[in-house]
This record gives sequence, structure tokens and C-alpha cells, in this order.
Amino acid sequence: MSREMTKRVHKALSDKNLQTALHGLIPLVKAISQMALEGIDFDALSKEIHHVKEKSIANLPQLVEQFKAEATKAGAVVYEAKDAEDANNYVLKLAQERNVKHIVKSKSMLTEETELREYLGDAGIEVKETDIGEWIVQLAGERPAHIVGPAIHKTIEQVAELFSEATGEKLEPEPQVLLDAARRALRQSYINADMGISGANIAIAETGTLIIVTNEANGCMATTLPPIYVAMVGYEKLVSSLEDATTILRLLSRSTMGMKMPVYASYITGPSNTTAIPGASLLSGQGPGEAHIVLVDNGRKEMRESPEFQEALYCIKCGACLNVCPVFGSLAGQTYGYIYQGGIGAILTAFLHGMDKAKDPASLCMGCMACKEVCPARIDIPRMITQLKVKLVTEEGLSWKSKIAYRSVLKYPKRLDRAMRAGSYLQQPFTDKDSMIRQLPYPLNSLTRTISLPALSHHPLGDRLKDSSSPKPGTHPKVAFYAGCVANYAYPEIGEDVIDVLREYDAAPYYPPGQACCGAPALFAGDTKTALSLAKTNIAALEEMNPDYVVTVCPGCAVMLQQEYPRLTAADPEWNQRAKALSSKIRDFSQLILELSPSAVGKTSRNKKVTYHDPCYLRRGLGIYNEPRRLLEREGFELVEMADSDACCGFGGEIVLDYPELSNSVLQRKLDNIEATGVDTVIANCTPGILQLRGGLDKRNSDIKVMHSAELLSIYSKSRSITT
Amino acid sequence: MELPKRRLEIAMRAKELAEQFKAEATRTGAIVYEARDVTDANNYVLKLAQEHNVKHIVKSKSMLIDETGLRERLENVGIEVKETDIGDWIAQLAGERPVHMVESSTHKTIELVAELLSKATGENLEPEPQVLLDAARRYLRQSIINADMGISGANIAIAETGTLIIMSNEGNDRLVATLPPIHVTMLKSKGLVPTMEDATAKLKEFNKKVTDRKMPSYVTYISGRNTTADIPSALMARAQGPAEEHVVLVDKAVSK
Repeated sequence: MSREMTKRVHKALSDKNLQTALHGLIPLVKAISQMALEGIDFDALSKEIHHVKEKSIANLPQLVEQFKAEATKAGAVVYEAKDAEDANNYVLKLAQERNVKHIVKSKSMLTEETELREYLGDAGIEVKETDIGEWIVQLAGERPAHIVGPAIHKTIEQVAELFSEATGEKLEPEPQVLLDAARRALRQSYINADMGISGANIAIAETGTLIIVTNEANGCMATTLPPIYVAMVGYEKLVSSLEDATTILRLLSRSTMGMKMPVYASYITGPSNTTAIPGASLLSGQGPGEAHIVLVDNGRKEMRESPEFQEALYCIKCGACLNVCPVFGSLAGQTYGYIYQGGIGAILTAFLHGMDKAKDPASLCMGCMACKEVCPARIDIPRMITQLKVKLVTEEGLSWKSKIAYRSVLKYPKRLDRAMRAGSYLQQPFTDKDSMIRQLPYPLNSLTRTISLPALSHHPLGDRLKDSSSPKPGTHPKVAFYAGCVANYAYPEIGEDVIDVLREYDAAPYYPPGQACCGAPALFAGDTKTALSLAKTNIAALEEMNPDYVVTVCPGCAVMLQQEYPRLTAADPEWNQRAKALSSKIRDFSQLILELSPSAVGKTSRNKKVTYHDPCYLRRGLGIYNEPRRLLEREGFELVEMADSDACCGFGGEIVLDYPELSNSVLQRKLDNIEATGVDTVIANCTPGILQLRGGLDKRNSDIKVMHSAELLSIYSKSRSITT
Repeated sequence: MELPKRRLEIAMRAKELAEQFKAEATRTGAIVYEARDVTDANNYVLKLAQEHNVKHIVKSKSMLIDETGLRERLENVGIEVKETDIGDWIAQLAGERPVHMVESSTHKTIELVAELLSKATGENLEPEPQVLLDAARRYLRQSIINADMGISGANIAIAETGTLIIMSNEGNDRLVATLPPIHVTMLKSKGLVPTMEDATAKLKEFNKKVTDRKMPSYVTYISGRNTTADIPSALMARAQGPAEEHVVLVDKAVSK
């Protein structure tokens, strides 16, 4: 996080026009996500695309040769450019040789990447964008806000102003008026242009074909009307066959716009030609007589060589990940500072502009994994963001603050314990009677600006469960409880409830001493050294009494124990085996209760309505979303679903510390959805999530209670035992 | 799947495919008309043209439309229909019917073509291939820009997505399909395939059989009417292409 980025985030969040525009997009984005999945097996199709891309990137050198040969045979001129300068220069030289003055261009992120428009503009050549969104951005002198929706950050009033200025007419801020004006203005540009430029969505090696996808029809016109056609194509667009291209087309427009197919998919193979005039086969039938294809590297070959980041080349630039990203939804693309936006943008930025430049964009990731879930090429973006942070730490080292926090405190359970205990006393002057901290003094004041914090307990869970440090002899199943820092230090009562409820289900729960922080904060800051050390501490602590299960109340911790520990220990076979053995025992609370009592009969209604928040790491990290709902309903609670129950609460990553204002913007949407249910209790099976939601609701002076399922079950079983 | 077997399967599902195509194309903003026969199909287009006060039509190559006699039908009521495939246009100027398949006017001498094009353009054109091509391109380009309606045939259509596939080497078909404010495609129900994969297979087969290239220069998939989401908070029909996208499905075998 840099001061520069903090400023940009603040600017975006306080930009009324931007926030209005983004808010207006919500219904469209929702409709797109729904339509995208309609009537298909998204899982199977996205696996196919992943496979096609994997294969294509692996065979890239052969595909390049084949593509060049076939495209050349079809009459195109293929040029391989090593970087942006090389690519731009080729186009400029060509334009100058052909005395080109006016160029029309259809939307292409690659040409944004190479800044081709500016390059040609500097040489006095007019380049007009023909995608309406891109044209808006061009008129505003900005970069695209979104891979496929360049102008989504603009309000209709802003567009009316830009179009009025461009056309010299006074245009009302009416959609139809503006669209008609744009159409008229652009139409003449195609007809007058000396050159048309496009990118390509797919390039097919076996035929030397480019596929250009548009909905507006500008792609067809820009590539056919001008006498010279130039396409700039990144190497990663190459696939082997028409069949592979079809596989990608199956999801591309669904993921982009919720459409089964784009309105126009143009397959272009070589220049226009005709045999209609007797005695000659001639180029330039009625379209361009020249077709130039510039294959661009610009960091792609390096990305291909990198095992951790190669998957970024699988990106088909559909923009689905941006649509679901809570951070993107609050800031739009310009805030990221480079060409490509969102999580995938951070990875691409690292290779296009340099590792250090990716630091800021990567710091904007909340780790909510929404992107991973919708990616039609099944790219694990969150994993790559973590890898990126690890790489940055390896190259630049940790910040002094992180070094102290992770390597001197977090790493050692006893030191952490002492620090938390000290904190519990230091905080006293700022703690209200109800154990909430509503205002901390400078320099910590930013922490309590948007949420109220729970006071650290004088008696952390480790103290309270001293007598339960081993399972009751002879009872089964043995359930080790891994609490995690938030439950341990802030919400020990949740931990006690977990133990109580498990006993009710005749299990033998215990709290293994020696457990430490799971290491997630260190890992997600890129500090694998500390994370690995903590992994070993916890593996040793948890395996000691050979439990049948390890139960968790923090899904972030659970993901660490279940998925990250085996990865972190990969280089050490002995530890790796122990990590894997532990991994198979990890259960979330609801999941375990259902597993312990699969055939329990449903309880009669308790006349209690609750709503359920899907924590990111529980739903997308562990894949658990049915179990908590089933358990609540089985226990007699009436579930009232909130809108976007799986949207992030805003706590994730380091966002809550680095960009509290951004975290709050995401939180407020969540709270609005919770309040809209009209229910007085929200269940969140995630201790950090509870912290965030309770803190935010407290600031709103709301009476809504936020509880873990264990708390709810415990309260109701206690009240029952009192009444009977 | 083996092609002949698949072809049979597709033929047996013709009616269902037509229904599906109609539903999908309609959903994506096209207007689909299922014509009873050739006369009905021609009448539909004629009525559409008259309703919109269409005076100038540009047409790209289509065997189906040549067979239905649509051009003559429209010309008879005073609507100008210009062929835009250069070979077909030369044939039209010579008062002949369009020549089928990919090769067009090779049976003519260059002198005859020069004469025809000189007369049409009002220029005195030398019998030089490049001179003639340049003149034809200029002339046809202007016709397409000025046209009130574009008419195409589709080589393949996909039922599951409501997609039309048109192809050419000259590129005229793409201009006819996108520049005029109304675009009409005539399609034989027999041209329908169930899936995108079937279309890919058929495309490959077509290229092998009919052309000597792996792919024609332009293969354009059109699915419904053009749209844009770029004007804030609205998904709008008719972006930069035609305002209306009509598809006429002709079922009956064409006798001629």
C-alpha cells in the first residue's frame, strides 16, 4: 500500500459521479451473472476452456509458427513484435508509408496496453475509437474503467456533455439521443478512414484466422471498410483449431454480457480478395487489400515461463471477475493505476510494467475469491495474488511494521498472548461498558472510524478452556478445537459455546494447548517464512492427541489448515505428510454437527427468524454453504435469505487495516442487505466476519445481533434446559 | 460423431431445430418469419420493404434467394436491388442470373466486363483488372452506404444460439449485413444445425468441398440484433448496425 494508492482510493470513494455510475450498474451486473449460467454446465465448460488454454500455452511456439504460415498463405502480413514500442512502431511505419491520416479502431485492451492510440496521435495521425464506450473514454482523455465496459464509471450527464462537445450539438442526457448521436458521428468515420485497427479475441493457428467479437457491429465495420486492416494480437490468444475457438466462444459472451453468443463474431482470414474480374485473382475485393497481424509479446513469453503466473495467460478478457469484485465495484478500474484492472490486472501489471508496480493493485485484493468462482477459464486469481505478494516479499523484504507484527510477535504464541493481554489492559480507557471500543486515539483512530471494535478479553479462550485441554478419556469422537485469534482473544464465549454444543452431541471436544495463529495474515502479506513456522507449530499441537476431527469457527483459519499447510510444507516430505493427515480432519462447525448427527430429526419451529451471511472463506474457500442453512433449519429456525448473501463483508485481506474507507464501502452494502431482511439476527459462521458485522452495525446503532451458529444453538439449548 | 450419421439426425430434427432457432433468434432481438413457401417468403420481404418505404436494396450472394426469384419480385414493383458480389453484379449488368457457387463471371472476357462496368459507372474504363476492380469497389461501396435495406442468405444457422453464419472473400456480405438500417436474411430450414460444434464441422466441410481455401476471408456469425451497454445504465438495441434484423425461414424445397 502506498500513500498514492490511499489517495486514489479516497478520491474514488468520494467521487459522487463515479459512485452514482457504479451504483446504476448493479442491476445490469446481476442480470449478467444470472444469465451467464442459464441452462449450462458452467463447471464442465469452464474446465474445457481451461484445458484449451493450458494446451495452447504449452504448445505456443508451434502454434505461432503454424499461425504465421497459414495467415501468410491467406495473404496476411504477420509481424512479431517483442514489446509495445516495437508493435507501435510497426503500425506507425506502415501508416506513414501508406500516407494514412485517419484511423478507426475497434476496442482492444492490447492497444491500450501498448498505448498505440497515443503513439499514433503523437505522430499526427488521428485515431478514432469506434466502440461507443471506448469512444467516451477517449473523449474524456481517460483509460478504460473495465476490460469490456470502458466507460462504466461515467454518468449519463457526463456522457451527454462529452458527446455534445464532440458533435457540436446540444445533446440531452437521454440514452436514445446519445446513442443516435454516437452512431451518426462514428458512421462517417469508418467511411473516411484510411486504416482500421482491431485486437482479436481468438487467433486460430490451423487456418491463420482471427476472431473479433463485438455487439455493436463496430468490429465488422472497422475491419472491413478501410483499405488497410491491422490487428494487434497478444500471443496468448492463439489456439490450435476452430474447435478450440468454439469452446472459448461458448462462454466468452456469457461471462461478458450474459449472452449465449456475441451479436457479431467475425472470423477474418487474410485480406479481402476476389476472382470476379476475368483473368486475375485480385486483393481488396470490397474490404481491405492489406491485412497486417502484429503478434505482440510485451512480457507474455516471460509470463509463460513462470509456473506461478502462467495461468494469467489463460485469461479470455471477459471481465466477469471485475463484475463480481467488491473492490472493483466500489472503485472502478482507473483507481488501480494501470491498464488492466482487478485481481487479474495486478498479475498482468507485474509482467507488463514490473513487479514493483503490481504492489499497489495487489494490495486492493480482499481475497474474497468471488473472481475465481466466475472465471470461465478457471484461473485461480486469488492464489496468484498471494504468490505475487510472496514474490514481492522475497524481492523487497517485509515492511518494518509487518516484520515486527509477523516475525516477532505472531510467530510465537506466548508473545502474541502477552501482547493481547497487554492490549486488553491498555484499551481499558477507550472501552465502553458493553465491551465495545468506539473510538481509539490517534494514530489508531482510523481503526474505529467505520466499525466499533470488540474489547480484547482479559481472559482469552486458552485460559478459559484450561480444564478442557484433552478429550475426556474413553469418549469419541475426539474433536480438537482450533479457535483462531479472533475467537481466542476477542470472542472467547463463542469458543465456549462450541465446546458446549459439541458435548451435547456426545462428542469429546478439547482445546489443544500450544495452538498458535494460523499464519493467514503473514501468508497473505507474502511472508511464507512466518506462515510455515506457524504451520509446523499448529500441526504439532493439533495432531498430538490424535483427534478424529479438528473443528474451526474461522473459515480463514480452516482454509489455512486444510489447504495452505500442505502447500507450505510441500518441500518437506515428512511435514507434508503430517499436514495432509491434518488436512483431512478439518471441519467447519456446522459441517461437523451434521456429520455427527446425520439422521437427527428436525426440531419444531422456534418462531425465530434469522438471516445467513455466507463468509467468503466458508463458501468459496471450503465450499460450504448448504450445511449451515440445513443445520439452522433443522434446529427449528426460519431462514430469511438476504440479497447477495455471499458478498464479501469487507474484512478480507489487509484491506481493513490498509484501506478502512474501502472496507467500509463494501461493508455498508452488506449491512444494507442485512437490514433489508427485517430480521433481528444474522448468522455469520466466521469470527472475523462477526467482528466486522458487529462493528458496522454498532456504528449504525442497529439492534441486529450477529451470531455464530454455535452461539445461537447454545443459547437456545440452554434456554430450553432452563424451561424444562 | 460421424458426419453422415449426424447429418441424418439433424435432418430428422428439422422441425424442432426451426422452433429452437426461432426462439433464440427472437430472444436476441431478431424478427423471425416462417414462410409457408417461396411466394410467401418473397411477399414478406416485399411487404417489409414497402412498409419502410425502401427504395434501394443491396444483396449479397445467396443461392436460395436466386432460386426464390426475390430480386425480380422486388424489381417488378420498382424497388432497386443491387447485387454486391462483384461477379453477381456483372451478371446482373449483363441481364443474366447470378452465377452460382464461388466462381462467378469467369466465362466473360475482360473487354465485355469493361464495357458493362463503364456503362454502369458512367466512366470510360480500360479493360485492366485492377482498374475494373477499383471502379466496381467504389460503385458498390457507395450503393451499400446508400441502401435502405440489405439482403443476405446464410450458409449455416445455429439453432441453440439463433446464429446466422454468412461468408465471403470480398467482404461485401459483412457490409450488406451491417451498414443498411434493415437487414433481412433468407434461410433454408435445411441449413440449420443444432449446435455450435455442428456449425464448426459444417464450416470445415464446406471449405473443403466448395472453396480451395481452409477458410474464406470473412466468416461472420450474427446472433440477433446489435446492442450496446455503453450508454450509462441502459442495455440498448441498435448500436451501430441495423435497426431491424429479420430472418425469413423458408421450409419448402425450392422448385425451379
